[in-house]
Amino acid sequence: MTAHVQDVMAFAHQQMPFSHLPEAASAYFSKHLSIVYLTQENQADWLNPTDVNLYLVRSGTFDLVSVQGEVVTRLAEGDYFGFPSLLTGDKISNRLRVVTAGLVYILGQHSFDYLRREYKEFEQHFVRAHTNRLLSTYYQSKSRNWSEFKVNEMMSAQVITSHKLLSIAEAAQVMSRHGISSLIITDGSQLLGLITDRDLRNRVLAVGLDPSLPVETIMTEKPKFIFENNRVFSALHLMLKHNIHHLPVLDEEYVPKGMITSTDLLKLQKSDPVQLISKIYKARSVMEVKRCASELPELLKQFSNKIEDISTIGKILSGVTDALTTRLIQLYQVEYGAAPCAFCWVCFGSQAREEQTLHSDQDNGLVLEATVTNEQLLYFARLGAYVCEHLVACGIKRCPGNIMASNDACRGTVKQWSERFDKWIKSPTPKAMLNCKIYFDLRLIDGSASLFRDLSTQLEQICKDDLFYAAMATDINTNSVPIGLFHQFKLKKGTTDHKYLDLKHRGVVIINDLVRLYALKAGVFKANTLERLEALLQYDMLSKKDIFDLQDCWRYLTQLRVKTQIDRDGLPSNCIDPQVLTSLQKHQLKEAFFLIKQAQQASVFKFARGSL
Amino acid sequence: MTLGKWLHNQWVSLQLRQSYFDEHDYVIVDLELTGLEPKKHEIVSAGWLTMQSLKIDLSTAGYMLNRNVTSLLQSPIYHGLNNTQLTAQGVSLSELLDGLAKVINGRVLVCHNAQLDWGFIQHAAKAQQRVIQPKAIIDTLKIEKHRLLVQGKPLKQQDLTLTACRARYALPKYSEHNALSDALATAELLLAQYHSMNRGSREKLSAIM
Repeated sequence: MTAHVQDVMAFAHQQMPFSHLPEAASAYFSKHLSIVYLTQENQADWLNPTDVNLYLVRSGTFDLVSVQGEVVTRLAEGDYFGFPSLLTGDKISNRLRVVTAGLVYILGQHSFDYLRREYKEFEQHFVRAHTNRLLSTYYQSKSRNWSEFKVNEMMSAQVITSHKLLSIAEAAQVMSRHGISSLIITDGSQLLGLITDRDLRNRVLAVGLDPSLPVETIMTEKPKFIFENNRVFSALHLMLKHNIHHLPVLDEEYVPKGMITSTDLLKLQKSDPVQLISKIYKARSVMEVKRCASELPELLKQFSNKIEDISTIGKILSGVTDALTTRLIQLYQVEYGAAPCAFCWVCFGSQAREEQTLHSDQDNGLVLEATVTNEQLLYFARLGAYVCEHLVACGIKRCPGNIMASNDACRGTVKQWSERFDKWIKSPTPKAMLNCKIYFDLRLIDGSASLFRDLSTQLEQICKDDLFYAAMATDINTNSVPIGLFHQFKLKKGTTDHKYLDLKHRGVVIINDLVRLYALKAGVFKANTLERLEALLQYDMLSKKDIFDLQDCWRYLTQLRVKTQIDRDGLPSNCIDPQVLTSLQKHQLKEAFFLIKQAQQASVFKFARGSL
Repeated sequence: MTLGKWLHNQWVSLQLRQSYFDEHDYVIVDLELTGLEPKKHEIVSAGWLTMQSLKIDLSTAGYMLNRNVTSLLQSPIYHGLNNTQLTAQGVSLSELLDGLAKVINGRVLVCHNAQLDWGFIQHAAKAQQRVIQPKAIIDTLKIEKHRLLVQGKPLKQQDLTLTACRARYALPKYSEHNALSDALATAELLLAQYHSMNRGSREKLSAIM
């Protein structure tokens, strides 16, 4: 009662290597198949690491993803997968990302081996395919830099947690069963704490604690964590900053998704900005800090050739400045004693937005506890002067507008700060508008997080004035993109004879301003422009398309800007000579400016009711 | 039927409906016919495949031609089979029914437009005094009809053909009117329908029937 499904056989016979083999091979193949409908949800049922098979895609689209989270190849009709394991006997390590669900033919190891024995060409085909894939993965892995990975692309795939009421001994057994050195403790779903091998040694064995006690007694409560969508770079920075080796990974609902360890990261770490940050945090003196900082420009030059998404550089530079600032604050306290009351060091402007360049200057300030005394104020005045002075020595220029913690006006209690903000909002003079643009991009660098939260809450409350938004929108519109009536570039004349385009002030800045306006209105308290746009997806102020367009424009302009900054030739910083652009780049640039112009006009209608 | 037996049957059917879709063994059957009425027309060929744990097993594929067909009428335009082929490669209707009984009994039967295929099987089985009794019957046409009605789409007759249904799930095109190809086409359609219904969670059999 043998029967062949003609359609399956015909399909097989069109595919390599069957097209080069006798029909009997296709017949054998089609007779020994199973067919499944593979979806994102059920793929684990069919791709069992220990049960090796040859898979042939009949319909649908699937991305084959390596353990490191890289797309090895995209699979569609007629593509095979699973054969490397059949050939090598290794466990399946790659995973699938289902783009569109579809039918997949599965041939078991036994039948694969039969065909391999019977038909030399069959074996050759798959051996060759295996080699090719190894090569292409190698080249791909060279072109992509690890710091661009998202955390969830490289964390351990399965999350191992333990309930807080489990005994210490049981938790230790879980750890040893899974061969892990740290364990996430939950109340069932949410992250409560963390225990590590070291805790078991120091808090249990060394002190003779009863291992039948609940594990919550020895856990580190409220450990630092990272979100799965953050970049690996941020995870590493957090670990270095706090000198920790295990970082739980959470999703947006704060549910644990995995763990990332310093060993994971060390394996990936090949480039130097990260080591530099680590060196800064370990520096024992101001001299050492400065020496680290002096390595930066050269390092950046090497590094910029290696990464594709050049906007990462803004993040790295801000990361370095964050590290320098934090270390200087720490060194000050070592030298002159711990701070007499709670404080937090905040940064504004480009550092807060994480889009610093080598030419960015300092914008920072100190927020102090409400009870601060005059004597204590003196301590912080000195701290401000110390840190700002040394940052200048590290190559981060003094702020021309004197927005620096060394300035008396830039130190104050939450109340004093919110009064300043309130004044600008209530009387939106041009000067006040300029202040708003700088001060409303703010980020905590070091010190008390609760003070910073207080300030953010205050700011959220005072940002309710419609008049303020109208004034901001109008102000943003006084700055125009360099596109003329006939879609031509409007060029500025430089000090030399160059004609140039200012990418920063007439491009990136306008996007930043617009996005800040919407973010404030929506109550989104983030500083980074891309992150603000991402968060704005949740509100119906801007359409999805507008958000994606602005993100693309921003990335494009930033990329162009940083690139020209690195290999520039006598142009003012942030500017570009359109002569050197290819026609495609010119076209893209015009398109970007055009989209910005549209977004500007839309903001006037929205906030100033067309009063321009 | 005694009350006890009736109650027992009700109980069995309730239990069956409450069980999970993926725990059952399925047989997917398609028939080629000389017409649409079981009493007047005849079975030309039958094709089938089985499926366990949501995995279609091609090694169980079966295909039989009926050499006892008395009159093919106009049907060769569809299935392309002629009397010479039927006599040369066919088996007796009795053997064909034996084949069907073997795979259908104890499994859940799946057809596209089950009313037609199951009607013919039942009629032929009765005439030949045979027992063919699936655990339950699933109809991919009914599933699709229900799905489209729920979506509030106006329905035309041609929207429910096997080919039209498969196109909606972007399943590949197969040659039509070969009983075994159609059986496979139906099996794949069922899997796609099941997925679009459950999106990863397990469904009860009652949700599919």
